[in-house]
Amino acid sequence: MFKNHLKIAWRSLKKQPFFTFLNTFGLAIGIAGGLLISLYIYDELSYDRMFADADRIHRIHADIKFGGEDRKFAVTPAPMAEVAQNDFSEVELAMRFRTQGSLLLRKADTEANIKELQTTFVDSTFFKMFGLDLLAGDIKTALKSPNTLILTKSAAEKHFSINDAVGQTLILDNDDSYSVTGVIDDFPQNSFLRDHTVFMAMSGYEDSRIVNWGSNNYQTYIKLIPSANVEDIQEPLRDFLGRYVIPGVQQFMPGFTEEQFKAAGNHLIYSTMPLTDIHLRSDRVAEISRNNKLQSIYILSFIAIFLLVLACVNFMNLSTAHSLKRAKEVGIRKTLGSNRGELIRQFLIESGLVSMASLVLAVILAVILLPMFNDLADKNISMPYTNPFFWLILLASGVVLGLFSGGYPAFFMSKFIPVKVLKGTSSNSLGGGKVRNALVIFQFAISVFLIIGTLVVYQQLDYIQNKDLGFSKDQVLIVNDAFSLDNNANSFKEEVKKLSYVKNATLSSFFPTPSSRSDSTFAPEEGLTDQENALSMQRWGVDFDYVSTMDFEIIAGRDFNRDFKNDSTNIIVNESAVSVIGVSPEEAIGMRYTPDFGEDNPEFFTIIGVVKDFHFSPFRAEIESLSLHLSDRAYALAIKLESGNFSNAIAGIEGIWNQIAPGQPFDYYFMEDRFNDTYQSEQRLGRIFFIFTALSILIACLGLFGLAAFNAEKRTKEIGIRKVLGASVSQISYRLSMDFLKLVGVAILISLPLGWFAMNKWLEDFSYRIEIGVWVFAVAALLAIAISIITVSYQSIKAAIVNPIKSLRTE
Amino acid sequence: MLVQLNNIFKWVQSGGQRIFLLKDINLEVEEGEFISIMGPSGSGKSTLLNVIGMLDAFDEGEYNFLDESVHSLKEKDRSRLYKQYIGFVFQSYHLLDDLTVQENLEMPLLYKKMKSPERKAKVADILDRFNIVAKKDLFPAQLSGGQQQLVGVARALIANPKLILADEPTGNLNSTQSKEIMELFKQLNQEGVTIVQVTHSETNAAYGSRTINLLDGRRII
Ligand SMILES: Nc1ncnc2c1ncn2[C@@H]1O[C@H](COP(=O)(O)OP(=O)(O)O)[C@@H](O)[C@H]1O
Ligand SMILES: [Mg+2]
Repeated sequence: MFKNHLKIAWRSLKKQPFFTFLNTFGLAIGIAGGLLISLYIYDELSYDRMFADADRIHRIHADIKFGGEDRKFAVTPAPMAEVAQNDFSEVELAMRFRTQGSLLLRKADTEANIKELQTTFVDSTFFKMFGLDLLAGDIKTALKSPNTLILTKSAAEKHFSINDAVGQTLILDNDDSYSVTGVIDDFPQNSFLRDHTVFMAMSGYEDSRIVNWGSNNYQTYIKLIPSANVEDIQEPLRDFLGRYVIPGVQQFMPGFTEEQFKAAGNHLIYSTMPLTDIHLRSDRVAEISRNNKLQSIYILSFIAIFLLVLACVNFMNLSTAHSLKRAKEVGIRKTLGSNRGELIRQFLIESGLVSMASLVLAVILAVILLPMFNDLADKNISMPYTNPFFWLILLASGVVLGLFSGGYPAFFMSKFIPVKVLKGTSSNSLGGGKVRNALVIFQFAISVFLIIGTLVVYQQLDYIQNKDLGFSKDQVLIVNDAFSLDNNANSFKEEVKKLSYVKNATLSSFFPTPSSRSDSTFAPEEGLTDQENALSMQRWGVDFDYVSTMDFEIIAGRDFNRDFKNDSTNIIVNESAVSVIGVSPEEAIGMRYTPDFGEDNPEFFTIIGVVKDFHFSPFRAEIESLSLHLSDRAYALAIKLESGNFSNAIAGIEGIWNQIAPGQPFDYYFMEDRFNDTYQSEQRLGRIFFIFTALSILIACLGLFGLAAFNAEKRTKEIGIRKVLGASVSQISYRLSMDFLKLVGVAILISLPLGWFAMNKWLEDFSYRIEIGVWVFAVAALLAIAISIITVSYQSIKAAIVNPIKSLRTE
Repeated sequence: MLVQLNNIFKWVQSGGQRIFLLKDINLEVEEGEFISIMGPSGSGKSTLLNVIGMLDAFDEGEYNFLDESVHSLKEKDRSRLYKQYIGFVFQSYHLLDDLTVQENLEMPLLYKKMKSPERKAKVADILDRFNIVAKKDLFPAQLSGGQQQLVGVARALIANPKLILADEPTGNLNSTQSKEIMELFKQLNQEGVTIVQVTHSETNAAYGSRTINLLDGRRII
């Protein structure tokens, strides 16, 4: 019997190639999309789980509200690790990272430097904390002594073969000698250390041994003993404020008390977060690597479920519609003695065949699309071909989808009553129409919702990109590693400024890009020890050309000027700083602040100018207070170019660089690109939204197309009669199309408020955001209508131009 | 002259071969005539009727309708002619299942873009004339075959056509119902409506003023 079912199923599918294709293809697109997103989510959830004891590792955080700023740090003071280890019996091990950003590396006897982008000091407990093995070197001594480092395999191979790496000497930034004491494997892409390649011994880093509770620079990890409960250390961690931080500050501010600190509305809260939560749940100042947002996982899960449901809905719709044509077959089968169960089985086998075919097609589609998807999502996912669970889950979902989407049609069809269908009652009276309409509404509601989402995401991105930043990010080329020029940095700058296509140039380590920070706390001359006056400000070292190169607008006072002898004791602050102080920009001129209020002879800086606020951190955050100081130390040279041929300019600047610093890598980027990188996660979301919106619309259109075809076919006789009675082609196709447009209209009415609500929720994350305009909804609605008109009208017109004598011929 | 067919040929191409559906048909229909077309099944009766009704095209020959040459008219003008002067009656009635009797009758007037009050008046008129006022809110499925065909004739007539084309109008009816419809045709004809009907029955053919016989697409009488 089963074989017979299979044979019949195959035949009836073959007899209707068009419907079979629409069904298979629609379902395959849905499954392929769902599959890709599932792989993505699986990858995102796997972050940092590969480390042994990952479930026992936690990072200590600091939430600090002080001096007019309220911030959440991923870093804590240097002494935190040791104190945590000593104070808590629950803590088995503690270790710190002190990240250093990029460094130039060269072998002792060579000239050419190779740049490593992510480097860090680490405590020697690094290996034990993360369960790491050395590929070469002795784990007992590696990273113990000052001026030693270990490398990842790929970083080591740039200089020597792994086997003779240990014992070699590397020069860092043309300055310090380090000996290589070990090589470790590269970190997997789904670990927080994926970009780190050079790890230097913390014992050589002076600052790490100084007991200073006032500055937060160390990523601090602890591993708990297996029986410990992380909740038990939260309360004592909060007590660190009174136990360590306040006494530390009192050393230079005797009157400083915890009560006073809290009374001023300040707080300092230490807490922990599990290592495995960090990637999706942490968005703090000074993260060690770029994290993702849990929100985007939710959004993607929704999209995956949407896609699958859409595809199933399509399947149901097309199948029930199609089944009306098979009413006669059902009637005959029933009169021949088939019972309902048998019919249900027959139809389920058919839908099973289609869903299996879709599954195969979906895997093929997913394999083809994977590289594009990786590109889109900035990932490196591969198909887990060798994982039996992957195939098992895939097969199981194929069966579930087949049952789910084939169940309703089978149930629906097997219900037909023989006398009715055999008498040739019109197919309308067989029912199912209401369910089909509801499903079409559902599909289009989702599509319109996604269109609204796409429009809002893109509009917000556009807003960010074109907002007045308070500085000009265009045509600014930044050349890194200017410090490697030592004393020649200034002559490099002067030579570059002579080039005809260079407008201006400035040496600094700080630019209005998100990676630039240097947090400091200042106190005013009057009321120096009164912490209510404390002012948390970024402290950026710049040169005389900085303000003019960046195009900052001075709204009070003046810029730095070479003609003023003592400008090195003057500062320029931004509007935000002035408003935290609580004066007008003009009143702020002449005020004096010091960053070292704890010392005997604090050095005071006088405010000589106020610049208009400019956006140096992402739009999600409010603009922080900031001060500019004159400084000789500069990491990079920012060059403002004339518009025109940039590649020419780059070549010219590189030429000068090579003359001054032969053998040093010439490393540059455009400020605008770095700026755009900040919004990667939003841009990625935008692109993903766009692609999957397109997919869901495609699926919905496939369904609508099929239904329109079916509807036209069902109404052939009616169309024929109407034509004989004088209806024109346009009247008939209008009539047929309207049937569907009404449904699309209802779908639009449902999805508009949902879209409005959801997208406002998303926008809440941004401090600087757009208002959702009415036009967004208008465009979404019109787009949905236009797409459905195009989809339906083909079938409608096709049906309308048929010569009526064909449809009315009496057999 | 209402209809004039000169040397009409119609064929279909099948496997490189022409299969003739109509061969050299000549026919003239004067206003007020009542013509019956007879012939065995498959002889081309329906095809001829469809050609006269402008529902189907022909491949060769001339067709003049009220002195307009149909073969050279544009689709739009043909449609205008057709809507104005011709009404169709079918063997299987072809009423719209989802519409009531009244709505079915209204349909041709809607497509002629007639205004509502005028439309209502015409529908009321014809319901009255055909004695089916009581049935106006029923659906076709609720009527007997004879009643359905009565509605079919009424619908063909409602726009005051000059010519009624009926393809085996009594083919699905019993003899009493048949007689009723034929009497109706006769009466309509006496009122001035031109009628061309296809029929298999000699009795029905006798209602007409003359009979045309077809065999294999060719007119034999
Ligand atoms: N479009 C067509 N293509 C091929 N053969 C056709 C077509 N239309 C009609 N025929 C054939 O032409 C012949 C005449 O058909 P028809 O006019 O319907 O006959 P009647 O109404 O006299 O029974 C039949 O054999 C029919 O099969
Ligand atoms: Mg016929």
